[in-house]
Amino acid sequence: MTPDTTEATQGTEERAAVKRREFLKVLGVSTAATAAVGCGTGEVEKLIPYLVSPDNTVPGVSNYYATTCRECSAGCGLIVEVRDGRAIKAEGNPAHPVNRGALCARGQSSLQGLYNPDRFRGPMKREGGSLVATTWDDAIGILAQKLGEVKSRRAGAAFINQHEQGSFPALIDQILSGYGIPAHLSYDAEAPVATAQANRAAYGASWPHHEFSAADLIVSFSADFLDGWGVPVPQQLAFAEARGKVEGAPRFIYVGARRSLTGLNADQWIPARAGSELAIVNALLGRGSLAAAAEQAGVGVALLEGLQAEIRNAEASAVIAGGYTPNAGELATAVAELNRQRGSIGKTIFPDRALTAFDGVASLAEVRALTQRMNAGSLELVMVRGANPAYTTPPSLGFAAAFAKVPFKVAFSSIPDETTALCDLILPDHHGLESWGDAEPVRGLLSLQQPTMDPVFDSRSTADVLLAVAKSDPQLAQRFRAADYRAWLAERLGGNANLRTALTSAITRGSAATRTASTARVAPAPAAAGTGDYQLITYLSPTLGDGRGANKPWLQELPDPVTKTLWQTVVEMHGETAIALGVEDGDHVTVTTDAGSITAPAFVYIGIRPDTIAIALGRGQGEAAGRYAIAGENAYKLGAVTEDARSGAAVYGATRARVARANGSERIVTIEGSGRQHGRNIAQATTIAALLAGENEVKHHHFDGQASTDFLPGLRSPVANDAQGEFGVKDSKDKGQYDPEHWSGAAKRRWAMTVDLAKCTGCSACVTACYAENNIPTVGASWQGAQILPDRTGFGANITRSREMAWIRLERYWELDREPKDVKFDADHPDFETRFIPMMCQHCGNAPCEPVCPVYATYHAPNGLNVQVYNRCVGTRYCSNNCPYKVRYYNWFGYGDPSRTQYAFPEPLHWQLNPDVTVRQKGIMEKCTFCVQRIKEAENRVALEGRDLEPDEFTTACAQACPSRAIIFGDAADENWSVAKWAKDRRAYHVFQELNTYTAVVYLQKVNHPAPAASANA
Amino acid sequence: MATLVQPADEPRRPNIASADIQLPAVTSYEQVDNEILSILKPTKAWFGGLLIALACLGLGIFSWGYQIHQGLGVAGYNPPVMWGVYIITFVFWVGIGHAGTLISAILYLFRAGFRTTIYRAAEAMTVFAVMTAGLFPIIHIGRPWKFFWLIPYPNWRLLWPNFKSPLVWDVFAITTYLTISTTFLFVGLIPDIAVLRDRETNPIRKKLLGFLSFGWRNSEREWRHFARAYLFLAAFSTPLVLSVHSVVSFDFAMGIVPGWHTTIFPPYFVAGAIFSGFAMVWTIIIPMRRWFGLKHYVTLNHLDASAKMVLFTSLVVGCAYIVEFFIAWYGGIPYEQDYFWNRVFGQWWWAAWIMLTCNMILPLSLFSQKLRRNPAWLFILSIFINIGMWFERFVIVVPSLSHDVNPWQWSSYVPTWVDYGLLIGSFGWFFMWFLLFVKQLPIMALAEIKEIVPPKMKKAHSHHGGH
Repeated sequence: MTPDTTEATQGTEERAAVKRREFLKVLGVSTAATAAVGCGTGEVEKLIPYLVSPDNTVPGVSNYYATTCRECSAGCGLIVEVRDGRAIKAEGNPAHPVNRGALCARGQSSLQGLYNPDRFRGPMKREGGSLVATTWDDAIGILAQKLGEVKSRRAGAAFINQHEQGSFPALIDQILSGYGIPAHLSYDAEAPVATAQANRAAYGASWPHHEFSAADLIVSFSADFLDGWGVPVPQQLAFAEARGKVEGAPRFIYVGARRSLTGLNADQWIPARAGSELAIVNALLGRGSLAAAAEQAGVGVALLEGLQAEIRNAEASAVIAGGYTPNAGELATAVAELNRQRGSIGKTIFPDRALTAFDGVASLAEVRALTQRMNAGSLELVMVRGANPAYTTPPSLGFAAAFAKVPFKVAFSSIPDETTALCDLILPDHHGLESWGDAEPVRGLLSLQQPTMDPVFDSRSTADVLLAVAKSDPQLAQRFRAADYRAWLAERLGGNANLRTALTSAITRGSAATRTASTARVAPAPAAAGTGDYQLITYLSPTLGDGRGANKPWLQELPDPVTKTLWQTVVEMHGETAIALGVEDGDHVTVTTDAGSITAPAFVYIGIRPDTIAIALGRGQGEAAGRYAIAGENAYKLGAVTEDARSGAAVYGATRARVARANGSERIVTIEGSGRQHGRNIAQATTIAALLAGENEVKHHHFDGQASTDFLPGLRSPVANDAQGEFGVKDSKDKGQYDPEHWSGAAKRRWAMTVDLAKCTGCSACVTACYAENNIPTVGASWQGAQILPDRTGFGANITRSREMAWIRLERYWELDREPKDVKFDADHPDFETRFIPMMCQHCGNAPCEPVCPVYATYHAPNGLNVQVYNRCVGTRYCSNNCPYKVRYYNWFGYGDPSRTQYAFPEPLHWQLNPDVTVRQKGIMEKCTFCVQRIKEAENRVALEGRDLEPDEFTTACAQACPSRAIIFGDAADENWSVAKWAKDRRAYHVFQELNTYTAVVYLQKVNHPAPAASANA
Repeated sequence: MATLVQPADEPRRPNIASADIQLPAVTSYEQVDNEILSILKPTKAWFGGLLIALACLGLGIFSWGYQIHQGLGVAGYNPPVMWGVYIITFVFWVGIGHAGTLISAILYLFRAGFRTTIYRAAEAMTVFAVMTAGLFPIIHIGRPWKFFWLIPYPNWRLLWPNFKSPLVWDVFAITTYLTISTTFLFVGLIPDIAVLRDRETNPIRKKLLGFLSFGWRNSEREWRHFARAYLFLAAFSTPLVLSVHSVVSFDFAMGIVPGWHTTIFPPYFVAGAIFSGFAMVWTIIIPMRRWFGLKHYVTLNHLDASAKMVLFTSLVVGCAYIVEFFIAWYGGIPYEQDYFWNRVFGQWWWAAWIMLTCNMILPLSLFSQKLRRNPAWLFILSIFINIGMWFERFVIVVPSLSHDVNPWQWSSYVPTWVDYGLLIGSFGWFFMWFLLFVKQLPIMALAEIKEIVPPKMKKAHSHHGGH
């Protein structure tokens, strides 16, 4: 460069000089200006100690109360964990003979009924057209007055109770009879009344026990015993136990128009039209030809011949009848005869070990009779508790209108719904977890119910209210002397001391007070065939039941195990049907029956006949039922008043319907990305023949030149050298703290998990258990999305962006070579295979998420856990990108922040939050921790007790809940733990083993049982 | 060549991209100072441009504020697509920066004369592009107020960042790059600032400019030191051109995501960066030479030479695309094969074809000299390349994540207004700085242009035979 390119730069010394002092000044000022550091001083909170500590309450230490689950009629035993006076987790009671420690998703969710934000805060009465709060004294006074009027004027009155077992129904009837009121109506929209009545006639017990493990063939005629039909947990336990045997496990055939979750667990599907099951069974019994039955069922006759041969050849078979069709009772009777013919009674079917769940349940016909009486104006007072007939009966029955005509209606329900909205007086009952009570799930065995905590709201036990009312009546006061219901129960058990002793396990010998048998015989309404090109099946949702789960966000957010949809009502149809209608997934269709019509998005489902469509019940409730229950559409609107010909039971099964394309479409709210495995060997299966021959191949990709991905260190955490595979230095001593022999003992244990896919039915109870244990927010409510200019609205908007937070999810794969929507229905070969696999953090020994985190928010603990430090996470989300299993979940909004609309735990739902687990804030990553809080709790406990952990001493929430007992958790480094043995099973494999991740979750291949002839050919 | 339009002020030999490049229409130092410094006077159009930039920036600031308050859920993320517009835009801006450093440092070392008139603008573009890019990792993280945890600073928790993580490498790469390119730009400016200082009449500004010029006195000694420092910084910046974008590419290449896990990424990214950077230089320079009347400084020869660079890098990038496909097939890994199929013929075909068209097919037009010397076409092409290169990063980030190993989690991705707001805001931020720069400091290196212009005293002496 030439030096003279600038001009006139001489003599500028004075002007341009920069003094050092000046330079430093400028530097100092600019540095100080940029060094503005924000140090928040947070709000100062105070801890106030108890002056006088309540008995048995140690802050931070849980108490456990044994009680009985009231979410359905089964009567499972519960152990409720209570921390500082609040119930935080419901688990199965291992000592309970019905559920043996397992618990379904609905049982888990009882806590969200307890803490439901829409619950009644206290008693209310109607004044000037609207319900206003009142006092208990006032409310009880009004009730006593009304009952007194009924008694004195001999007026008509009725009491509808949610069907339940135990002494309480008997108590109601006793008190009612004191006022001259007939025995109450024990109503349950879910109860398979027709089947139960037919069973009682055939077996002498309404719900006989099925010992599936004694069978070598199970045939279900639309009996969805894994979908929540009947008594869900004991049925699933029995089924999974049988299938888990592997060798000698029963083959399972499902006959039904829609392949339910039960159907998807079957080895074979015979898609018979709804209602045609009876013809098939009759043909099997020799009353008609198989060809005619096949014609009626719309399936290939070869399928039925195969079925006949298999039933004939089976040494021990268990045939179950189910369904809610107009001939369900007849079907159950025919099936009972078939079972008798095959000698199954006493071999696989045990009437003497029957469950009492549906004893004394009323049919829809009785509700219809009541409706007629209400319409006729012959009832002056109607009381209702728990049941919601205004929603769960077909609107064409006109229950709500008739109910509204009754001069005075009283509700004892604890949660508002369509029925309570019509009532004049609300006397909210305690929730089941706040109440005393009992159930007799099996004859001769009492399952006690005790309050697990003080009532959340100003509610009062209905039994106590009725006793108080009875005592206020001078004539009745003599008969009801017990101070309250607890005293009444204690008296029945022979005193307080007995009650106290019995409460430790909540199980005792004895029987509940006998109730007055329902004497009302009502002629069933004639079955109306209806008109339309399609057969419509409305089925009880496996997650929401008849709709009573719809106000619980956990259950709304729990994907349907079959369709994997959530927060939404979809119209399920076969791909061929969709093409015929010219619709695709999400396009609106209007379904019309003679009774009514609804419009909902179409959803292509491969497991349904092309001439049939299906819609789940339970969603689309009124405003009255709370903020969550309004999601979706109400499929009850489609129901005609049709009843089972014998029992008068409600029919959900077979109505004719017309389907037409409607305007508009919406996104299907689903957690499913692709429903096929694309050859990636995620959910693996083998056949029983291959397994027994030792030919079951554990599949993973291997690429030429790639190092072996066999697991050198077994299940323990690999050290860096191990991770090199066969390229590692074999005799390296450089193993550090991760060496099991290291003096610190830090790597002594390797926490691991096995999941037996032969047992897993895909029921998803583990998912809800995980939500409950780990404070996982639900994100699907319509107000939980973006607030300004939201690009997606409505229930499930976040989920259409795959933002669900389930740390464990149930993946459901179709074993198909094409998209399910492109599969044609073949009446001769309708079958397809489905596999379920729970997917959670695999706690990889060589985890891809760990090295990419810039701040060590995720790191590897020597005991094998892949640890996530929420407080350290800055939210780069690189870990999730790098996770091949995609099991990391991100807090997109402030789900844990009460000040936000996206808050997932509105008061008092947050009382349920597990104090051992952080509620995550927005902007951070979270994932399955293998319930590290439980690990720490157990380790601390044994340290205090000065002993070592017993094998299988504790387990994770998912494993604890699993009603299939498919999940085993424990220390794989210790041979005495079950998990160590299961991990070495011949069916064991790791998902994506070729990625060298050294996972701690070991899956055991599913075992298929092909038809005997088919396996001989293969 | 008969068909070529040959303006009178253009030199005869159009194809020389070497040190003896000529500016025949520039005859004296005064002309250089007067013409280039006259740009500094603000015009209405400039104020209008600044207003637009500030409006875009305002939208970006609003979007960011809303996002910080609400959470990242307001952006279009759709797990497993956990990275989206922000990371794409980050890589895009880092890439833009690279051409500036290439022009100012590498081409300086190679004595490529065509850089002289465009390097100041390119270098300023680098600094502002890196300033823009550097914001995006912070915008993108869930708890932006904790971004400093990625920086290794002594703290009482005794916690360091994870040096294994490519994101930490990024922090080093970006901060180093920003420091060096800023220093380089500033050092190059010192003699020019001295010129401004000497012409300044406002005493406060004069003082400030005097401070910024380090009291430049135009002495022989200062020039010697200046030349050495400039050379040193050029040499220092040169490896950064290669290393910074290599490190950025490691963000992807170090992951085991199909479509990311590949060794070709560093060279592929560097070539892409230079490619996109040149396009952005065109986007800036071509309107500038027209509006500011600088056609005789940035001549068609200069554009022609830079077009060859663009063509070359486009071929490199295109080759990388093809190699990616080949390796996916040849590697035999089903995840990769499935992913690439889905990228080009499946779910994301439109994005992939935008990328291939803009980056691979359209630049082939530069084989035509006629088009290389057509500023209007170059400007249009530069816009296409900018779009194409943004989509290249889109294609790398989004389809890979949406079609990962586990099919159950496959998904889609649609950005929301917040994503677009921040994308537009980033352009507002960048152009705000650039527009302010144009009116404060000379957009062309006065001193270096004067080196080309024949000195006054030698005017009688013909420098080149052609004249």
